[in-house]
Amino acid sequence: MIPMLLSGLAAIGFIAFSAMFLIWLERKISAWIQNRMGPMMTGFHGTLQPIADTIKLLLKEDIVPKGVDFLSWWLAPFFVTVPVVMAFLVIPFSPKWIALDLNVGVVYICSVTSLCVLGIFMAGWGSNNKYSLLGGMRSAAQIISYEVPLLLSVLLVVMEAGTLSMQGIIHAQSHGWFILKPHLTLAFLIYFISATAEVNRVPFDIPEAESELVAGYHTEYSGMKFAMFFVAEYTNMFIISAIATTLFLGGWQGPWLPGVVWFLLKSYGVIVLLMWMRWTLPRVRMDQMMSFAWKVLTPIALLNILISGWFMVK
Amino acid sequence: MGDFVFYFIALCTCVFSVLAVTQRDIFHCALWLALTLMSISGVYFYLDAAFLGVVQILVYVGGIITLFIFAIKLTAHMNDTSIRQTSKQWVISVFVTLLLLLVLFKVFARTSWAEIILKTDSTSINQIGLSLMTHYALPFEFMSVILLAAMVGAIVIGKEKK
Repeated sequence: MIPMLLSGLAAIGFIAFSAMFLIWLERKISAWIQNRMGPMMTGFHGTLQPIADTIKLLLKEDIVPKGVDFLSWWLAPFFVTVPVVMAFLVIPFSPKWIALDLNVGVVYICSVTSLCVLGIFMAGWGSNNKYSLLGGMRSAAQIISYEVPLLLSVLLVVMEAGTLSMQGIIHAQSHGWFILKPHLTLAFLIYFISATAEVNRVPFDIPEAESELVAGYHTEYSGMKFAMFFVAEYTNMFIISAIATTLFLGGWQGPWLPGVVWFLLKSYGVIVLLMWMRWTLPRVRMDQMMSFAWKVLTPIALLNILISGWFMVK
Repeated sequence: MGDFVFYFIALCTCVFSVLAVTQRDIFHCALWLALTLMSISGVYFYLDAAFLGVVQILVYVGGIITLFIFAIKLTAHMNDTSIRQTSKQWVISVFVTLLLLLVLFKVFARTSWAEIILKTDSTSINQIGLSLMTHYALPFEFMSVILLAAMVGAIVIGKEKK
């Protein structure tokens, strides 16, 4: 009982600090790419800026617009944040640092992260605002579509490793990372593209496209409720990077340094790649994005499974 | 402690399922249904059947409820609270429901619960996969044909209205 509670508290603490760090990192990377300085005033190179932002968000007034759908409006931030915390149950930080090594870990983390779409839709509908509703609709369509190639690429890793447990998959990579095998390199590319769409990042950020939808589904949220959406967004980014690290990049395996350090290094490396993409690429159109998922990614993922499965059985 | 967890999940399931069928706003009904299904997956987790619980969330909450909500939002007037929520065939449906209840009671009464020992270990997923592909291969394929038929039917109905 007590160790379970402690690991839960550790997960929540990690989520809060990781989100604060990632927001700072994103501002710094965007500034660096655009030849600016970014936050510089609070602390050394703006390191205390996230703490100042958090205090500001905690003190802000919680504005409830007229005519909101009360149930969806109040529950939406929880529906977005709770799955994010639940996902940390099976993230293997090191050989010993895992809250619970479920024997269906991979399926668990995929199913739990798919819950976010409900919260996003509730926020979009509950806000009683056409921009929010459009953002929510787009997001739901996008997440459902990209979940198909994402799960198919994860399936290939499961076929290769022969287990659904997160630790088991890392152990299966002790003789070489999965990304180095050609069919799994393709699977990694499919996973990476789909995961970028799942967390609504550029080039797939049309659910919250600033230039057309203000801020998408969380336009009407303010104060701590907005902060919950923000934390969930950045933690989701960490989760998909952690999954990529576990499934393709050998997890906590690596020489000299302890496992936790390797795991965090790899995960944050993937996150930096995501941020780099955000500040480099333009946004795609809705129809382009949907047809890309159904007409390009899904067939390639299916073919990949078929061909690699043929060789595995043979 | 364990009993308390079970009763809490059971209470949640009952309350949410009653709310799911009594609310006027059909969007809220779908949300309560999502919570009901999540509570049921909680029961599975409590019984150490993690795979079933995970699949319950992945398929029902992540997939089906999302599609429900999509259908509700994309259908005109579906979200109107003045819409009639009972169909003309309620007499027959009450009869069928009572019959189903009777069958369930019969099954509950006949099962000797003490003999059922929970046996779940890491091989259970392998066993599920093997039995789906060997012993239950025909029902499994039959289910996918039914699903395909339902999908084709939905497309046909959707096209007719244009």
